[in-house]
Amino acid sequence: MSAALRASLLWSGVALVVLIVAIAAIAYGAVPLDARAVVHAIAGRGDPVTVAIVRTLRLPRAVLALLVGAGLGMAGAALQGALRNALAEPYLLGVSGGAAVGAVAAVALGATGAFALPLASFAGATLAIAVALLVARASGGRADPRVLLMAGVIVGAFANAAIMVLLSNAPPNAIRNALWWMMGSVGDAGWLTVGWLAVYVALGGALLLWFARDIDILALGEESAAALGVDAARSSRSIFLIAALLSAATVAAAGLVGFVGLVVPHLVRSLGVRRHRPLIAGAALVGAGLVVAADLVARLARPPAELPLGAVTALLGVPFFLLQLRRLS
Amino acid sequence: MRPAPRFTRTPIRLAAAAAIATLLACSESRRAVTELHVDDFGAVIDAGTVTAPARIASLNPATTELLFALGAGPRLVARTTWDVWPDAARAVPDVGPGLRPNVEAVLARHPDLVVLYASAENRVAAEQLRAAGIKVIALRTDKIADFVRASRELGRATGEDAAAAIVVDTMQRTLARVRAATLHLDHPTVFWHVWDSPIYTIGSGSFLDELLTIGGGTNIYADRTEPSPQVSLEDIIRRNPSVILAGATGQKSLMESPLWQSVRAVREGRVFVVDTNLIGRPSVRAGEAAASIARLLHPGIAL
Repeated sequence: MSAALRASLLWSGVALVVLIVAIAAIAYGAVPLDARAVVHAIAGRGDPVTVAIVRTLRLPRAVLALLVGAGLGMAGAALQGALRNALAEPYLLGVSGGAAVGAVAAVALGATGAFALPLASFAGATLAIAVALLVARASGGRADPRVLLMAGVIVGAFANAAIMVLLSNAPPNAIRNALWWMMGSVGDAGWLTVGWLAVYVALGGALLLWFARDIDILALGEESAAALGVDAARSSRSIFLIAALLSAATVAAAGLVGFVGLVVPHLVRSLGVRRHRPLIAGAALVGAGLVVAADLVARLARPPAELPLGAVTALLGVPFFLLQLRRLS
Repeated sequence: MRPAPRFTRTPIRLAAAAAIATLLACSESRRAVTELHVDDFGAVIDAGTVTAPARIASLNPATTELLFALGAGPRLVARTTWDVWPDAARAVPDVGPGLRPNVEAVLARHPDLVVLYASAENRVAAEQLRAAGIKVIALRTDKIADFVRASRELGRATGEDAAAAIVVDTMQRTLARVRAATLHLDHPTVFWHVWDSPIYTIGSGSFLDELLTIGGGTNIYADRTEPSPQVSLEDIIRRNPSVILAGATGQKSLMESPLWQSVRAVREGRVFVVDTNLIGRPSVRAGEAAASIARLLHPGIAL
């Protein structure tokens, strides 16, 4: 069997699994529903309660989970490539910390509007990204990805301290609200959120795929990149910015869904993908599948209560990752 | 976080209602529409325009208890895991948490009215339920005044106005009796121990502070406006309360802790146990709760 055929078979298989998981996410939930009733409900027919459960709750929720996973997977794959570091991930680079400071501040200050949390977290993440880029530039780090990485980590550490200060003086209700947000959830999904995140994921994904060739060249080192006409410093900064904004958008929509950005790219690489265009595309697919599966588990583990999504992604992803590692070694 | 269908856009509804109110006010029926009933998320409560709800989901222990007191208990079709008072509430199907409720599980009970606690975390659930065409009333139940308001609004929404009037009247009369009995007594200074590490107490923004004041005590942290401020042991020693109120486990840990021996009230054994089942949230038993505090602070008081 040729390599190309094997690869296309493999990816068709992965896509099929993701599709099946997504369908399961619509068919199953806290309330058991008849399969035929679910199909009718998607078309808007049948019992109004079933229609409401399927169309206003499960459908946007499943789509949001897919988008969050795809966005985080792509951002992680691009960052690890551009910064030439297998530990790079969107959350390590101050994005999650900045977003969390924004969200926690909004909660602690008693902002209650429907969009207060997503807007505040997006603002916080953008600010953290800007600070990280400024720190990296001020330290004169030409194309050294380690400087950008350090800057991100330092911004993240500062953000953690700020969160602790904010939470230590917040009322218990606000603390619970903030903690829930930090554990990640797609439970608040609505079509408006799905809509704007879809735009972000599509635009960000397209840009990252476009930069994929640059990432391949960056991996050869700064001199080789310069010889091939790629400004390493500029490229890695652009990729950092795109990936960080993309993950900031997912954080605004669903809180902190840890682990996806870190491990999904490794999973895809363990399937034999090396070049960054297929790697980023594959990470989108696997990330989407992982988050939608994790959300399904989060809802079904002990209904009617739900588990935090961010914890489930890690609980599901780590064993799978270890299995892959074992198979490779 | 979800697209707001036109009927969940509260400001628009409010504006429309206000416009109608203005129009009507200009016509001859001047007094009919002046009182606009709005819940604590700002949504208009349109009781009277529809028939009384037959299937009610109450997702707050305080309102569940209240609905039973109003005689609407048999109409309850869903409650949270924590709604276990009165005993009859246990027979109502449990749909899980009341903060960030599982909307799917609530919908599956086919309610025509959902009563939510008006916390920011519940806004999305309120919108999702309204989008499914269900009437939602979100109410705070944090202070005595909230409870009185919740009683009246729920009485109105369920067609149990008369029962609500009686519940409110009974509670207010008991509270007035306790207040009158303690009014001329010396009010001891009290530290209310809510939680250890970190130490939480009650501020003047809380329902417990209201009960404590009526029951004849002075909260040493009445100067803090938040409902549950975090405080330090040093500051408690400095404020030197003459009495400490705590739950049963809290009292035990305070009496055994070497650190807390530095507080005079602990050293001298004046740490009293409050009945946390009775005192915990505004309820139809708020009068009883105030009376129990008065008995702790003023032994032998006639109530």
